[in-house]
Amino acid sequence: MMEYDNLIALLNSMASDILFLDGTNIDIPSTGKFLNQLDEIIKEAENVKVSEVKEVAQSLAGCLEKIILGTDEGAGLTHLVKGTSLMQEIVDAYKAGGAYHGDLGSFHNPDSPSAVASADSPSPVPAGEEEPQAEKFQIQDESLLKDFIVEGLEYIDEIEVNILNLENNPDDKDYINAIFRPFHSIKGVASFLNLENIRDLAHNLESLLDKARNGELQVKPPLIDVVLDGADALKTMIGSLKSELEGKGKTPVNIDLAALGARIKSVERGVAIITQPEKIGEILIADGVITEDVLEEGLKVAQASPEKKIGEALISKGAVTPKQVSQALRKQADQITDTSTVRVDIGKLDDMIDMVGELVITQSMIQQDLKNQLNADKNLTRDISQFFRVTSELQRVSTSLRMVPIKQTFQRMSRLVRDLAKNAGKVISVEMVGEDTEIDRNMVDEIYNPLVHMIRNSVDHGIEPPEERKKVGKPERGLIKLKAYHRGGNVVIEIADDGKGLNKEKILQKAVKNGVISSMEGLSDSEIYRLVFVPGLSTAEKVTDVSGRGVGMDVVKQAVEKLRGKIEIESVSGSGTSFITRFPLTMAIIDGMIVKVGSEHYILPTTAIRQALRPLRESYNSIVGKGETVDVMGHIMPLVRLYKIFNIEAEHQDPWDAIVVVVEGENRSKCLLVDKIIGKAEVVIKSLGSGFKKVKGVSGGAIMGDGRIGLILDPEGLFELSETIH
Amino acid sequence: MDKDIKILIVDDFATMRKVVRNLLKQSGYENVVEAEDGVTAMRILKTQKIDFVISDWNMPNMSGIELLKAVRGDADINKTPFLMVTAEALQDNVVAAVKAGVSNYIVKPFTAEVLNEKIQKIMEKM
Repeated sequence: MMEYDNLIALLNSMASDILFLDGTNIDIPSTGKFLNQLDEIIKEAENVKVSEVKEVAQSLAGCLEKIILGTDEGAGLTHLVKGTSLMQEIVDAYKAGGAYHGDLGSFHNPDSPSAVASADSPSPVPAGEEEPQAEKFQIQDESLLKDFIVEGLEYIDEIEVNILNLENNPDDKDYINAIFRPFHSIKGVASFLNLENIRDLAHNLESLLDKARNGELQVKPPLIDVVLDGADALKTMIGSLKSELEGKGKTPVNIDLAALGARIKSVERGVAIITQPEKIGEILIADGVITEDVLEEGLKVAQASPEKKIGEALISKGAVTPKQVSQALRKQADQITDTSTVRVDIGKLDDMIDMVGELVITQSMIQQDLKNQLNADKNLTRDISQFFRVTSELQRVSTSLRMVPIKQTFQRMSRLVRDLAKNAGKVISVEMVGEDTEIDRNMVDEIYNPLVHMIRNSVDHGIEPPEERKKVGKPERGLIKLKAYHRGGNVVIEIADDGKGLNKEKILQKAVKNGVISSMEGLSDSEIYRLVFVPGLSTAEKVTDVSGRGVGMDVVKQAVEKLRGKIEIESVSGSGTSFITRFPLTMAIIDGMIVKVGSEHYILPTTAIRQALRPLRESYNSIVGKGETVDVMGHIMPLVRLYKIFNIEAEHQDPWDAIVVVVEGENRSKCLLVDKIIGKAEVVIKSLGSGFKKVKGVSGGAIMGDGRIGLILDPEGLFELSETIH
Repeated sequence: MDKDIKILIVDDFATMRKVVRNLLKQSGYENVVEAEDGVTAMRILKTQKIDFVISDWNMPNMSGIELLKAVRGDADINKTPFLMVTAEALQDNVVAAVKAGVSNYIVKPFTAEVLNEKIQKIMEKM
C-alpha cells in the first residue's frame, strides 16, 4: 500500500526530530517546526483519508499552541511523544490493509478537534508569567513622557484625518488599518508609561476597530462618532498630561470615561450586524424623499412587525411611493458594485499635467512654424494636425484625472455641522445634493476654509435654537443643505439653511451707523444683503467661540475671490439664508478677457471686470497732484494707463480714443486704459518660472490660441504699481 | 553573556523604540540600532551585522510577521534571532509567528528583566 508512504515519512521525520530534542523543554523555534510538520501531516492524512491521524495531529497542534502561549499544564513533551507514536501506529494499521480499531484516548476530541487550536475569535490569553505587576514597569522617565505626548498627539491628528476618509469610504480596509494602528501604538506605549486610562481607552477603540477590520462590524455613523469622541478624549487626556508636565498644573479631564467605554462596547455589540452597504432609509433621506423623523416612525412600524421591511412600512404609511423605494434599492445595488480604481500620488499627477501643458505649448510652436512655411509637405501637415487632435484630447483627459468628487469635502462639512450643532445646543441635519460633482483636487483644500466659515455662520447665526423654532412652527430639527453642481464652466456650491434669514433692518442700521451708506432708502434686497460682506458689518448679536468676533463675511468674500470665485447671498426672512459660491473648476484654467496695448496682448481675469467703455471727452478729468479720473456713470474712478506701467508704446494716448476697462481690486475699482479689447478666451495658466516668482501686477502667463504669449494681469497688483508710478 | 551584541529595534512609534532602548540599557545592552519600518529594517539587516532583532507586530507597510518571513526567507540573515513584540498574546497571531520561525515573543508591557531573560535564552541556543 504505497499510498501511505508519504505520511509515514512525515511521521518518521517528526519522531526523529522529537528524539533529538534536548532536555525536557521545547523552545519556541522547535515548536514552530513541529507545528509546520503537523500541518503537513494533517494535509496528507486528509489526502489519504486517515481521519484518526488527523484527529491526533490536531490535538497535538492544540497542545503545542498551549505550550507557546504558556497555558500548558506541563504534560506537553510527553504528550507529543505519545501522540507521534500513536499516529505511527495508526498508519501502520492502515498500511497492513485495514482500519485502526484502537482508542484515541486523550487525543480524541469529540466535538471539535480543533477546539483548542483555534477559537472562533482570537481572544487575549493570559500570558502566565509574562503578566508583570503594575509597579514593576513604572518608567519614571520624563523625556519618554514628552516624546509620547508629542508623538501621540500627532497620531491622533492622523486618526482624525483618516476617519474622515473612512466615513467617505466605509469599506476601505486601508483606512480602518490607518486608524487602528495609531490607537494600537498609543496603547502599547501608554502601558509602559503606566497611563492606565489612556491605555484602556485606546484598547477599547482598538478592539472596536479590529472588529470593523475583520468585517464583523460595519462602519456606520455611530461607530465613526464614538471613535471620533474617543480620539477627542485621548487628545484631552494627553493634553492634560502635557500641561501637567509643563508645570501648568493638572487640567481637569471632564470626560466620563466609564460612559465612553460603555458606549464603545454598545457600538461593538449593537452594530454587529452585517447589512447592506447603506440602509434604504438613509438613501431615502439623502435623496430628500423623507425626513429623519419620518424614517424613525417607519422604523418603529417595521420593528413592530418583523416581516415588514422598512421600505414596505414607509409605503404603507404613505410616506414614499413604491417607485422611490425601488430607485433607492437600485442605488443601493450600485454601491455594491463599485468601479475599479487605482490610487495615484497627486504629485505624479501634477507632474504629468504639467508635462501635458508643455506638450500643448510645443504643439502651438510647431503649428506656428508650419504656418510660416509656405510649401509645407502635405503629409507632414496632415500628420501634425492628427497629432494636434491627440494632444488636445490628452490635455482634456489628463485634466480630468485630477478631478475628484466634492463628496469628501461635504462629508467633512457634515461632521463640522454635527460638532458645532452639539456645542450650540441645536439639532441640525445635513442634506447633500450633487456630492458627485467633480472639482480639481487642488481646489479642494482651497475652498475648505471659506466653506467652513459659511457653515459656522449658518449653524451659529442662521438656524435658531430648538425652542425658538418650535415657537414659530418650524420642526425643531434645523436643516443645512449642501448643494453642488456645474454651471457654465464653474462649480457652484450652495450652503442653505432653513433658519431665520438675514435681518435687513439690522444690516441697514449698522451700515448707516458705520457710514457705509448714507441713507436706508432705495436699496434693493440683494444690495442690502451684499452689505454683509463689507468689513465690520457682522450682524450677530452674540459672539460665540466658533464664529468669533472680527472675522466676518468680508473675509469669506476675500477668500472666495482669491480663488477667482464669486459669492452671493439669498435670504428670505423667517425661512432661511443661502450662500451661493461659484468657483472655477480648476485653478489651472482662467476665463480671461484679452486686451491689446500697443503690440502686446494681456489677459484680464473676467471675474475682476465690471465693465468696459469708451469714455466721453467730458468725463475725463486730470487733477494736479491727484492723478487722472474718469466718470463712469456717476462714479469718479482713477485712471490707470497700462502702457505706462509696462513702459511700452501705446496706439492711443487719449482715453476717448481708446477703451477703459473697469476692474475690481480687493476693495476698490479703477479704470485701466487699453487700446483694444480682442475678445474672451479660456487660457491655461503657466507660471512664469521660478526665476520670476513674484512679479507685481502679473499673476502668470498663458499661451493664446495664435501661439502668442500673454501675461495674465493681477488687478490689485496693478493698482499698487500705479500708486507708485507717477 | 555577551552584552555587546548588536540589537535592531523595529517599531513605527518612535517613543516605543525609545522605551525598548531604555529597557535594554538597564540590562547592559547599549549596541542598539533602530528602524521605523520593515523595509528599513531589511536594509539595515542586509548592510550591517545584526545579532538580534526586536520587532513590533503592528506596523504600516510591512508588518512584523512580514518582516519575519522576509528575514527567514533570506539565506544571508535567516539565522538571526527574532523576538516579536505583541500587544496581547493573541493566539492566532502568536501561532502564526511561531510557524514563521520566530525565536520567541514578548507581550507589552514588559520589564527589563523579562526582556533580558528572553534575549539570554535565545542567545544561549545560538
